Amino acid sequence: MTAPAIEAVDLYKTFGHSTALDGVSFSVAPGTVFGMIGPNGAGKTTTMRILLDIIRPSSGRARVLDTDARNAGPALRRRIGYLPGDLILQGRISGRRLLTQYVDISGPVRPGRIDELAERLRVDLDRPVRKLSKGNKQKLGIIQAFMHEPALLVLDEPTSGLDPLMRQEFLAMVKESKAAGQCVFLSSHVISEIQQAADEVAILRNGRIVRVATVEDLRGTAVRHLRLRVAGTGAGDLRSRLQTLPGLDNLKITDDDGRGAAASATLAGAIAPILAALAVLPLTDLVLEEPDLEESVLSLYTAPNSEEQS
Amino acid sequence: MSATTATSPRSDSAVDRRRKPLPVFGKVFSDTWRSLAGWAAGLAAVIFLYLPLFPSIGGSDQMQQLINSMPPQLVHALNYDQIGTGAGYTQSTLFGLMGFLLTSIAAVGWGAGAIGGDEESGQLELTLAHSVTRTQVALERFLALVVKLLILATLVFVLVAALNGPAQLQLDTANLLGCCLLFAGLSLLSGTAALLAGASTGRRIWGVGVGAAVAVLGYVFNAVGNQSPDVEWLHRLSPYYWAYGNNPMNSGANPLAVVALFGLAVLMGALTAMVLRRRDVGV
Repeated sequence: MTAPAIEAVDLYKTFGHSTALDGVSFSVAPGTVFGMIGPNGAGKTTTMRILLDIIRPSSGRARVLDTDARNAGPALRRRIGYLPGDLILQGRISGRRLLTQYVDISGPVRPGRIDELAERLRVDLDRPVRKLSKGNKQKLGIIQAFMHEPALLVLDEPTSGLDPLMRQEFLAMVKESKAAGQCVFLSSHVISEIQQAADEVAILRNGRIVRVATVEDLRGTAVRHLRLRVAGTGAGDLRSRLQTLPGLDNLKITDDDGRGAAASATLAGAIAPILAALAVLPLTDLVLEEPDLEESVLSLYTAPNSEEQS
Repeated sequence: MSATTATSPRSDSAVDRRRKPLPVFGKVFSDTWRSLAGWAAGLAAVIFLYLPLFPSIGGSDQMQQLINSMPPQLVHALNYDQIGTGAGYTQSTLFGLMGFLLTSIAAVGWGAGAIGGDEESGQLELTLAHSVTRTQVALERFLALVVKLLILATLVFVLVAALNGPAQLQLDTANLLGCCLLFAGLSLLSGTAALLAGASTGRRIWGVGVGAAVAVLGYVFNAVGNQSPDVEWLHRLSPYYWAYGNNPMNSGANPLAVVALFGLAVLMGALTAMVLRRRDVGV
């Protein structure tokens, strides 16, 4: 059993009177992609900064790549690629010069690697950094995080500012990193990205982890939308057949001009019993949508936390 | 869990780029050489404006009469007592006034920006996330500040020495060298105060404030202390007086003053590293 790539135990962090992290614990297995989602101010950035020893927890501890993150020193950070949440790059120097400067304080970078990544992300390295758009600066940030092929990537809102095409390219890079044995810890408030990239997801709210689940688990509890259409059955008949089915909610039946009926509903839980029940109906159309993670996660964002007093 | 044959992310075939020694130090220069060149040009302009005028201003009887007619307090405050000699003229116009002003502003700006400004702009966070220690970042940036101010002082030495003959200043080269060292040390003290304050607060403006306070109070304490024996004790608090109180262009640099200025700067440089190590960055 190998040690986890990241192990956070009971991290607390207060800034003055406000609590940024209120006991965050999680563990990330090596070679996996771990996503952290939550609204702004939930504590995602604070968690990541603690892993990099940029800020120190008020209490609790974090181990990164089997080393205590606190005062770990340069040897550990050489094995981490970090992209800060609000990346600021400025100066007259070209992107290439800037990256070379980071190479000097980073892990070893394979020759040609920077150009490879730049070509992939379509960024012109010869332009002065300050003239680059937000998206292109973000690409430089991604390059400096990936260039030394670190064992662990810590990426705070990595796709912010990227266009949809580049987002897909970035997600492909994450997948390749995982295939190469690297571990990726990324945060986002765009759930669809996490859903595409991550093996496991932690949902953070008000400095607490509300839930850690695999994407599959999340999908399992997620709500699916079901639409169907039947021929030769009236609306009333359809309603009586569907009403009793387990997990079916928000049922709406419309009469289809006497030729049949249409129904829409939300479905939570197992699919098989529903399908078995539907199989006997004279279906002309059936749509079972992919579960919407966003919907299920949003319910966690907004669900009142029972432990929380106002 | 991955079925693919995982290649090690840090494979041995990765060729190590030769890492530059003192990478943080080097970056300071590539980032701020324009500013260094600008301040150097400013100092050169001051030198070429003031010194060639010595034969017609400082050395002339008329100027001496003008000085004699000025209120003595003003003359003391401006350190114009010795303006009749080349050494006194260079001391009061260049080292004591315009040169002091320019290098102090440069040093405070660099010092405040080096860590406080870098943190405020959000870039320090990314630097510290790489394979460097905070001590290394603080000390290399302190060293860069020292080197930049020594470059300016060297430039001053070279230009003043070159004008020595043409401007009939009759300067002693050893005294000039000592004075240039004090000149660098004095600005370094304000610059390092700015560095320390910037690193303690993570705000550039605090660095500028504290650095400027050290420079300005040093100047004011000297000027006020010059006025009467009752307030002479203010001299003890004035780095400006430590450096220039004994007219180093005439009598040579006080070695104790050199040690005090550079020693205090090194102390504050070390404090900067200690403070930065303890802080949360970028919050």
